[in-house]
Amino acid sequence: MMSVVTAIVLLPRNLAVLILRGYRAVISPLYGDVCRYYPSCSSYTLQAIQQRGVVVGSAMGLYRIARCHPWAKGGIDDVPPVRRQRYRLTPFGFVVASHGKG
Amino acid sequence: MEIPFLDTILWPIKWVVELILVAWHYLWTFIGLDPAAGLTWVLSIVGLVLVVRAALIPIFVRQIKSQRKMLEVAPQLKKIQDKYKGKKDQFSREAMSRETMELYRRTGTNPLASCLPLLLQMPIFFSLFSVLNNAQKGLAGVGPLNAELGKQFGDATLFGVAPLHDTFIGAWNAGGPWQVMLIAGLMVVLMTASQFYTQLQIMAKNQSPEAKNSPMFKQQRILLYILPLVFVFSGVAFPLGVMFYWLTSNLWTMGQQFLVIRNMPTPGSEAAKAREARLAKKGKLEPTKGAPAIESIPEPPKTTQRQQPVNKNRAKKQGDKK
Repeated sequence: MMSVVTAIVLLPRNLAVLILRGYRAVISPLYGDVCRYYPSCSSYTLQAIQQRGVVVGSAMGLYRIARCHPWAKGGIDDVPPVRRQRYRLTPFGFVVASHGKG
Repeated sequence: MEIPFLDTILWPIKWVVELILVAWHYLWTFIGLDPAAGLTWVLSIVGLVLVVRAALIPIFVRQIKSQRKMLEVAPQLKKIQDKYKGKKDQFSREAMSRETMELYRRTGTNPLASCLPLLLQMPIFFSLFSVLNNAQKGLAGVGPLNAELGKQFGDATLFGVAPLHDTFIGAWNAGGPWQVMLIAGLMVVLMTASQFYTQLQIMAKNQSPEAKNSPMFKQQRILLYILPLVFVFSGVAFPLGVMFYWLTSNLWTMGQQFLVIRNMPTPGSEAAKAREARLAKKGKLEPTKGAPAIESIPEPPKTTQRQQPVNKNRAKKQGDKK
């Protein structure tokens, strides 16, 4: 029962992960490396969504894109770590429950 | 467009796009072109590109300037690359990107433009798309493009048969006019050619040896072969008017890149050597201002071994040998 609830809770962010992975595979390479930060904006957003869900993660991603402009200094800018890792990531990047059968 | 949310965001940009279009249209009409002709509207689109790209020049100049500064950090960059030489695993490459980025930040030499120039152009693109789409229905725009002009834009045809709002796929499904397909096809070819040429120029001539070793360079090479596919797909689906915007923008990039490569090449690149040779021929090569050459003369290896004292005559002989 818990796993069903978790799956539903995680569904939106997994959809977002799928979209972002698609974007990173297809659209990102089209214009090459342009980001002034490491990790790049899309990678940052992906991590933020994996950790904190679609709403907070997207907001952090948007804020990051807003900070990334030609006059920004750039450099390393990681997603601030969350206090407690509740979930586990598959190699593809999907978020799954860290306990239970999986 | 059907998405109200997007329309709200795009409203101001659409307004400006229309203003620039109408202003150019007014200018072309003023100097005697037929206001309803397709050519006049195409030229207005070209004018729109000129304004947009000219507005983006400061960003471009900034990028060039920080690329110039790359020269100063070239040795440090080389050090990082040597450190990770031959390490192809994900963690090493990640660590390398991290160190490189940190170096850029520390020294203020970030050569990357961020996605802002792209992000800025995207709404303009969409706005033009939507302006053309509305014009096709004879609708007025959101501002300066009034109903009369909107209808005119929508009805404007090239060679009297190819409407600017028409797409390749639309013409295909409707069984004509074939001219639309021909023009769209031609533009795809031109776009591919100009993009290919621009990329090739940058990659073949305007890369420092350090950049050529970076993974970024390989990525750019892949790009070179993917882009034509993108052009073919968009060339089929986009209205002729939008295609004209894109093509003109591509041509601008090509010209801009040509000038930069010729006059302000990346230090250490092929183009820089070519420029030095050109200037030397004219006899006005300015001495490089304190900038060390990229391939600095290797220092003689320091040895702790004592130098054998040499007899005067022998020293003279050794000196002659040099």
